[in-house]
Amino acid sequence: MYAERGFYRRHERAILGTATVFLFLIAWEGVERGWWADALRPLLGASAERLQLKPIFISSPTLVAAAALRMFFVTGEIWRDLAWSSFGYVLGLALAIAVGIPLGLAAGWYRRLSYAVEPFLSALNATPQVAFLPLIVVWVGTGLGARVLIIFLLAVLPIAINAHAAVRTTDPRLIRVAASFGAGDWRLFRTIILPSAVPFLLAGLRLAIGRGMIGVVVGEIYGSAAGIGAMISQAGSRFQTDKVFVGVLTIVAAGVILVEIVQRIERRVDVWRPPALT
Amino acid sequence: MTIPLELERAAPDERARSAAVEFYLAYERIVIGGTTLLVFLLAWEAFARSGLVDPLFISSPTRVAQAGWELVHDSDFWRDLTVSGNEFLLGYGAAVAVGIPLGLAIGLSRRLQYMLSPFVDTLNAVPRVTLLPLIIIWLGIGIWSKVAVVFLGAVIPILINTQSGVKASEARFIRVARSFSASKLKIFSSIVLPGTVPFVFTGLKYGAGRALLGVVVGELYASTAGIGHMIAQAGNTFQTDVVFFGVLIFMATGLVVVALLDRLEQQFEKWRPDVR
Repeated sequence: MYAERGFYRRHERAILGTATVFLFLIAWEGVERGWWADALRPLLGASAERLQLKPIFISSPTLVAAAALRMFFVTGEIWRDLAWSSFGYVLGLALAIAVGIPLGLAAGWYRRLSYAVEPFLSALNATPQVAFLPLIVVWVGTGLGARVLIIFLLAVLPIAINAHAAVRTTDPRLIRVAASFGAGDWRLFRTIILPSAVPFLLAGLRLAIGRGMIGVVVGEIYGSAAGIGAMISQAGSRFQTDKVFVGVLTIVAAGVILVEIVQRIERRVDVWRPPALT
Repeated sequence: MTIPLELERAAPDERARSAAVEFYLAYERIVIGGTTLLVFLLAWEAFARSGLVDPLFISSPTRVAQAGWELVHDSDFWRDLTVSGNEFLLGYGAAVAVGIPLGLAIGLSRRLQYMLSPFVDTLNAVPRVTLLPLIIIWLGIGIWSKVAVVFLGAVIPILINTQSGVKASEARFIRVARSFSASKLKIFSSIVLPGTVPFVFTGLKYGAGRALLGVVVGELYASTAGIGHMIAQAGNTFQTDVVFFGVLIFMATGLVVVALLDRLEQQFEKWRPDVR
């Protein structure tokens, strides 16, 4: 008895979490298969029919699993979409890093530059950047360029803003000490500011990963022939609900994996981070 | 504030210049920011007028202003604004009404957290706009699909931040209160709840951004009215002026909402007991 209780206590999180997920899946499956309608028919009569929904509306866990199996391993159609989406995503994110980090670091270091770019950054940050999508389409069409641009636009702001904050929050005592020992700007930057900025840069990157995902989906939903977002949108308009769910879950998986990678790096960097900074 | 600086200045004949310099130093941020903004707008206008690029593509500040002036006198525009406003307010309102209480509950009850975190974490990992095609199947292309996507977008950051606010409440304070035999309700209302306020506001600000995003994407994707719909239509017909004006409206809304939330947060800060 004690051992059992100890087991539950130790694994309470996993047990409760799995149980609710399991219940949710069963409830979902039941709605599609009409288990609940059948069970409650004696009580509710004809209105019990409403508890059964057509698969085109909600699909079901088994249908989604079957569709996933088919798309990943039988027809393999999803790999092409995945490759197409990843290509735009990596390009957009790389561009955002290449522009955002130098811009943010420079704006944090030179006060006047910061004043100059501040109005633009805060205005862009307050705007849902996807509103620029129709403009981008007018400028570069609906191809790869539009997707890379919208991903860039969404991802560059958290990166630049975090890089800016990173320089600003560097311990001023360290800078003063180094400066009084005659360290030049470049040396200050390389040995004090950059190392203490790394955690902020990674936090910005983590945010940017999520924003970039929005860019992938929205950019492709709005007008693209291939990619996960386009696949979701086409399946949705053909009422292939199971395929939509497969697409959504693929994006969930990609997001979780990418964020996990950055968090791993963050943890490692935290160890290496100088203890003077709190 | 400037008096001590004034006294430090040596020669009185330099007064006139130093006043100008001081004005510049005091307002350097606004001066530089305003100047770059002005230069940007002028360059944009000059570029559009130079004939190097067809103004059809890049529009210009004066064209945008003109388009705005015409739109303001157009009843369709006001209908679009009302539709988008309703979507935003209904979805965001529901997200606040659900997100804060649920976040508090999850923060307080470990078991509830264990039960719900798989769902919250999954939803948090996916841009909620991905669910749009499904939501359209369920709710159609009218206002309610947008309300739903706005709600889903905003509720997650509000919920997660509220929850971490509860988790972050000072264990010392709670221990002190407990040893003075404060009731659970008392601990909640006088320690936990005030402590969550900054977190809740962080969540509300994130949520507002997500809500606006939901309005835009929902309307771009499939809609019959709204500012996002207006932007999409204008983009398809190469009316860049109208697109820019629509983007400006979203920009202004974002800035105003964040400013309002900042103001509200300051009110709460006053009310918050001075504990530290």
